[in-house]
Amino acid sequence: MRKVYLHSRCELRPGDPEPDWRSIFSVMEARRMGRLLKRAVWTSSEALKAAGIAVPDAVIIGTDFGCIDHSEQFLRGVKGIDGAPLKPTHFMQSTHNTIASLIAIRLGCHGYNATYSHRGRSYESALQDAAMQIALGDIDTALVGWFDEMTPLLAESLTAQGIDPAEHALAVVLSANPEGAVSEFAPLDP
Amino acid sequence: MDPAIHISGAGVVSAIGCGQAESLDALRCGRSGIGPVRCLETAETRFPVGEVRLTNAELAARTGADADLCRTSLLGILALQEALEQAGLASLAGVPLVGGTTVGGMDLTERVFPAYSRLHDCGASTDAIAEHFGGSPFATTLSTACSSALNAVIFGANLIRSGRADIVAVGGSECLSDFHLHGFGSLMILDTEPCRPFDATRAGLNLGEGAAFLILESEASLKARGVRSLGVLSGFGNACDAFHQTASSENGEGAYLAMRKALARAGLRSEDIGYVNAHGTGTPNNDASESAALRRVFGKAVPPVSSTKALTGHTTSACGTIEAVFCLLALQEGFIPGQANWREADPACITPYRGGEASCPAPTGRQPLRHVLCNAFGFGGNDSSILLSHA
Repeated sequence: MRKVYLHSRCELRPGDPEPDWRSIFSVMEARRMGRLLKRAVWTSSEALKAAGIAVPDAVIIGTDFGCIDHSEQFLRGVKGIDGAPLKPTHFMQSTHNTIASLIAIRLGCHGYNATYSHRGRSYESALQDAAMQIALGDIDTALVGWFDEMTPLLAESLTAQGIDPAEHALAVVLSANPEGAVSEFAPLDP
Repeated sequence: MDPAIHISGAGVVSAIGCGQAESLDALRCGRSGIGPVRCLETAETRFPVGEVRLTNAELAARTGADADLCRTSLLGILALQEALEQAGLASLAGVPLVGGTTVGGMDLTERVFPAYSRLHDCGASTDAIAEHFGGSPFATTLSTACSSALNAVIFGANLIRSGRADIVAVGGSECLSDFHLHGFGSLMILDTEPCRPFDATRAGLNLGEGAAFLILESEASLKARGVRSLGVLSGFGNACDAFHQTASSENGEGAYLAMRKALARAGLRSEDIGYVNAHGTGTPNNDASESAALRRVFGKAVPPVSSTKALTGHTTSACGTIEAVFCLLALQEGFIPGQANWREADPACITPYRGGEASCPAPTGRQPLRHVLCNAFGFGGNDSSILLSHA
């Protein structure tokens, strides 16, 4: 089994200023994408740039709830709340893998692509998948991300369950190559 | 070459039946489970669906599960119960559980919205399945739309390959929901008639529901426990079409790469494949794109291909392992499921296998099937393919 190295990490923390979206997305794109997708594309692109990788061998994303804002808007449409329309874009973005898919489309990345959605373990699972495949020699590099957004309704529900309603926008690059690595990546065991 | 990964248990539930025996009978006779909505509470009744003909209370009664769980969990528990029993396992003690779903507990949330069910998210539905079987040392959930279950198989196989586990339970589960029905409706890809995969008149898919789990086991563990192998997971591939969020590319690049990867990992040539269980949703776009990919992989010698979604409907996140169980039945019983609802050839599509001597009753004296491919493709171009071989 090969060793795995961390090459870069880019995160937007709660309270960080939002990047200038107009420098990255067209007006049309920005309108279609919710906040989560914009943050995901930006952090991924910055992490890849920092690692000096144009197209990774794999894109692996963890998200606990996916694009929950647009999912809620579609649910309002289904339930006929306040005459909300049924927008196909909102349904499309309610599918959790829309994040990894969008990143792959923008990168032209035909490699391994997966999305984990398992409560607090979504990101951990994505990291484990990437590290395992690098260790096995199936891939050399992976972009791994953790993306979540909050709505007032979801935050209220999670708080009532004693779960921290956290947002996430974090991208890292893992590689089999020790050269230029930030650190060795500690393996995760199930 | 890695040591073989065996399948020592399988469980399935879909519109064509509960369990392998009912499914096998329906597949052999081409009996469809597609019909009008019966269990799902919805005002959207224009579209036929592939519904599991058991209410939540009936599903719970069959397994002793709590009827208040989401239907995704209830279906998953029924399927996993059959798989564990066949593998001779009493619980998930020491067995990681890798689930696949997209809907999760949406059926519960859509009843109480604007509020969330405590069991709304994908992970909650997998955790509920794990808890029913005494808890698992490790549970996670793949959510790659309609390829979720096959990606759970791939992750599970890698847990075994990397020595992290000897036995893993992998699969997918998805219930019908008002949310999904309206969602696919908004994309204009639902047919108001029974779906017709690869047919010139195909006009969309029929949504289905169901679940299937496989018990993957290392060669060493299988021998040590003295259990029978149902088949070998000899290859798998995951690739991204990277073309569009919901549409597939014209040349089927993602599907082509996924099938090529599965063949390469198995060390097999395209001519070794005796049957392909296609993704074959019945939408004009998917079937043409998948056909282009099949022609690129197999050239002029495309093996028998069929889509069992004409019988089950499109069971979305669960379809990968539901159809993998059908492939295991085909390998063990030596038959090929024929394509239902196909009449008119489309130059843009392969001509599917329509049964003939392989249909009801069981054929005799046929060349046994050795290797089959099972495809599952999702929104976002999440394309996966697994290769199953005779034990």
